[in-house]
Amino acid sequence: MQLEGRAALITGASRGIGAATARLFAAEGAPLVICGRSPETESMAARLRATGARVKAMLGDVRDEGFVKQLVQACRKEYGHLDVLVNNAGVLKAGRLGMIPTADVRELLEVNVVALVQLTQYALRVMDAARGPAIVNVASIAGTRGTEGLSAYSASKGAVVAFTRACAKELAPKGIRVNAVAPGYVDTEMMSGLAAEDRARIVERIRLGRIASPEEVAAAILHLASASSRYVTGQVLEVDGGIED
Amino acid sequence: MNDTKLRECFSSVLGIPIDQVTDELAYNSIKAWDSVGHMALVAALESAFDIMLDTDDILALSSVAQAKEILGRYGVSFDAA
Repeated sequence: MQLEGRAALITGASRGIGAATARLFAAEGAPLVICGRSPETESMAARLRATGARVKAMLGDVRDEGFVKQLVQACRKEYGHLDVLVNNAGVLKAGRLGMIPTADVRELLEVNVVALVQLTQYALRVMDAARGPAIVNVASIAGTRGTEGLSAYSASKGAVVAFTRACAKELAPKGIRVNAVAPGYVDTEMMSGLAAEDRARIVERIRLGRIASPEEVAAAILHLASASSRYVTGQVLEVDGGIED
Repeated sequence: MNDTKLRECFSSVLGIPIDQVTDELAYNSIKAWDSVGHMALVAALESAFDIMLDTDDILALSSVAQAKEILGRYGVSFDAA
């Protein structure tokens, strides 16, 4: 197992990419702390515990610094340290330029950027360099390339990309690797509202000819979190099926 | 007791004899208490006293005396000098 005994904290784990990552990490032997805003987080944890995994679920909002501290404290109390942080919690707000409410911009930055920076800062304190810790941030191809109709979201994910690269430089001397995945279109709730013709137009642009499953993104996260990428840091791995710009 | 625990944290993280851990000992006053040492010190204090400091408190923790004052806000009491 690739994460046997490697304590991991996954945010936004009640559904989508976060839930798929929690399932995969648990199957790979990682004791987990998972969090989310929805009560599904606890039922998700219960399902994983039924398979024999060690999982603590915490319900809350990563924008609340007190909650962020509780998450990291829980890692220390439950497992003594933290080996892997997956900064997955995020929101998506669409809107064409000129039509983006300020409240949406603030929420995107608060959840996708500020909370991620805060959690990273707290998590560092319970990471032990000798254990080869890793941080994986969930960015987006919107952040690496910019996506029309998602300019504010693109800005927030672009910040995640830059933060990942800066953290990697700062934390390499401390033995902590920092990487990101940048998913393209993934079959999650965020995509479920799309009309069939819009979905077809998207698929036409994907060279692999289909939208990704959350499990396929989770597999990339596992690679960056595990020893199989132990010489990789500061990278942003686009998991997009070869999408055309 | 907490005073001793605190001084032991400083002593072991900064690699100095415990009698050199006075209230006046300050950030950057010795080579070992640089930014890297500071983070190690914070981790040691948090672990020893089972607390998690706010980021602003970490920035404000610039001497042993300050550490006592800040930890006091987290329910850690120290005997008056």
